[in-house]
Amino acid sequence: MIRFENVTKVYDQKARPALDSVNLEIDRGEFAFLVGASGSGKSTFLRLVLKEDRATSGAVYVAGQNVAKISSWRVPRLRRGIGVVFQDFRLLPQKNVFANVAFAMQVIGKSRSVIRDTVPEVLKTVGLEGKEHRMPHELSGGEQQRVAIARAVVNRPGILLADEPTGNLDPTTSMGIMGVLDKINQNGTTVVMATHDDDIVNEMRKRVVELKNGVVIRDEARALYTSMIPVVGQSRRLKDASGRESPDGGLPGKGAEGEAQR
Amino acid sequence: MRLAFILSEIGSGLRRNLSMVVSVILVTFVSLTFVGAAGMLQMQINQMKGYWYDKVQVAIFLCSEGSTAPGCASGPVTPEQQQGLNALLESPAVSQYINDFQFESKDEAYKHFKDQFSNSPIVDSVTPDQLPASFRINMKDPEKYQIISETFSSQPGVETVIDQRQLLERLFSVMNGASLVAVGIAGVMIVCAILLIATTIRLSAFSRRRETGIMRLVGASKTVIQLPFILEGVIAAVIGAALASGTLWAVAQFFLGDYMSRQYPDTAFISSGQTLILAPALLILGGSLAGISSLLTLRRYLRV
Repeated sequence: MIRFENVTKVYDQKARPALDSVNLEIDRGEFAFLVGASGSGKSTFLRLVLKEDRATSGAVYVAGQNVAKISSWRVPRLRRGIGVVFQDFRLLPQKNVFANVAFAMQVIGKSRSVIRDTVPEVLKTVGLEGKEHRMPHELSGGEQQRVAIARAVVNRPGILLADEPTGNLDPTTSMGIMGVLDKINQNGTTVVMATHDDDIVNEMRKRVVELKNGVVIRDEARALYTSMIPVVGQSRRLKDASGRESPDGGLPGKGAEGEAQR
Repeated sequence: MRLAFILSEIGSGLRRNLSMVVSVILVTFVSLTFVGAAGMLQMQINQMKGYWYDKVQVAIFLCSEGSTAPGCASGPVTPEQQQGLNALLESPAVSQYINDFQFESKDEAYKHFKDQFSNSPIVDSVTPDQLPASFRINMKDPEKYQIISETFSSQPGVETVIDQRQLLERLFSVMNGASLVAVGIAGVMIVCAILLIATTIRLSAFSRRRETGIMRLVGASKTVIQLPFILEGVIAAVIGAALASGTLWAVAQFFLGDYMSRQYPDTAFISSGQTLILAPALLILGGSLAGISSLLTLRRYLRV
């Protein structure tokens, strides 16, 4: 569903690349966690999938299509096949729950009757039935994130990208959100979730891809947040990653700081 | 559905930015009124030129029943006198100064008069008998008017010899100057309008960046995202153009039609209906100015 072939992304020629020769394949219907410290390249990964940015080199394939070859007027079609959820929910404050979800269908020209049928169904999936007419500020954080998830999946995208969706939520609420994402994944949607939340990763036991300084240092199925099993070759790859850092100052973490400042 | 959605987006955009929209309307209104005023002055000049102005320079009016000029003491011009004048015009002494000449009978004069004064009530009270017949002369050199005047003024059957140009040229040069000033002011105001529209669209795009961000993410097309902003500017400008057209119409109807034509009944004024010809031009000009300037602004400030 998503395939990265030798993808490198450089924002600033002087700093280290945000992503460095990443090779990764996520299959249809898979659930993958993207973990790693701030500045490790998680958000860059998601932006490349959405064609918000272009890869400096290498190829990104989404649903079998090389995104670099999609002309700008067809990018909207690519994005219709991808739902996105953020840490800060991004709801429209002056629209109620129903209108927020319906907005995603209106802007791509769905008919009123289709919207009337689909939106309540999706709200039921995320566990918000009966709250159609609430305004966002009347909802708890967890409920707001459920609205955002409903909006992301209402057009039935094949892929759902979640960028730290539980970053603002307490552990119990987070588990509820994970239940919703899991349910969506069960229905056949590929889910990629960038997160720092070790409890959730350890609880879910799904595939974990760990990034560090733009390099994939771990890719395990049914894994934990921090690896318990020493992976063959991991130490070498770790050394590669830190070795790349030394020319521009030597201090570990300098590159990450540089990216955070941007 | 998508149309209804775009319309509701436009409505909310106009409401949120009401004061800016009002200023866009007013600026386009004022600038297009100046453009239209220049157009109206040119139309008025054409109206005053009448049928003969561009074709001939000098008119020799012949005596008719009511003439009181000394040359007409013997009553209206006789066919013999007319023949004599015709022969004189064709004689070498005169014809070396003129390109050609035409005779305008009373009936033709009445027809041309009716065309020129079609907007004036005076047309109903004039009959062909009251209008003099005339010879209309196209001069080789308009400066030689004196020669024609001296030759013909004393001829029997001639009421008066008139150099039309001298009567109207000065007035026309004032009016042409006024239309240049109007065009100049209009130019400055149009620059104002373009900049103001650009700023308004920028503010509007900024205040709705949350919505447009979400629209982008869920895959709304460029048209759906940008059209409400562009139409917002176009609608404001078109309202301004409509106000300008209305103002021009009102000036022609009430100032020229009711006031000026009563003050100067012997001058032909343009009708209010004629100013409506300017309206589509003003609407298209206003709409396209707004459309182009908002499109250029959006390309810089709204990522799609």
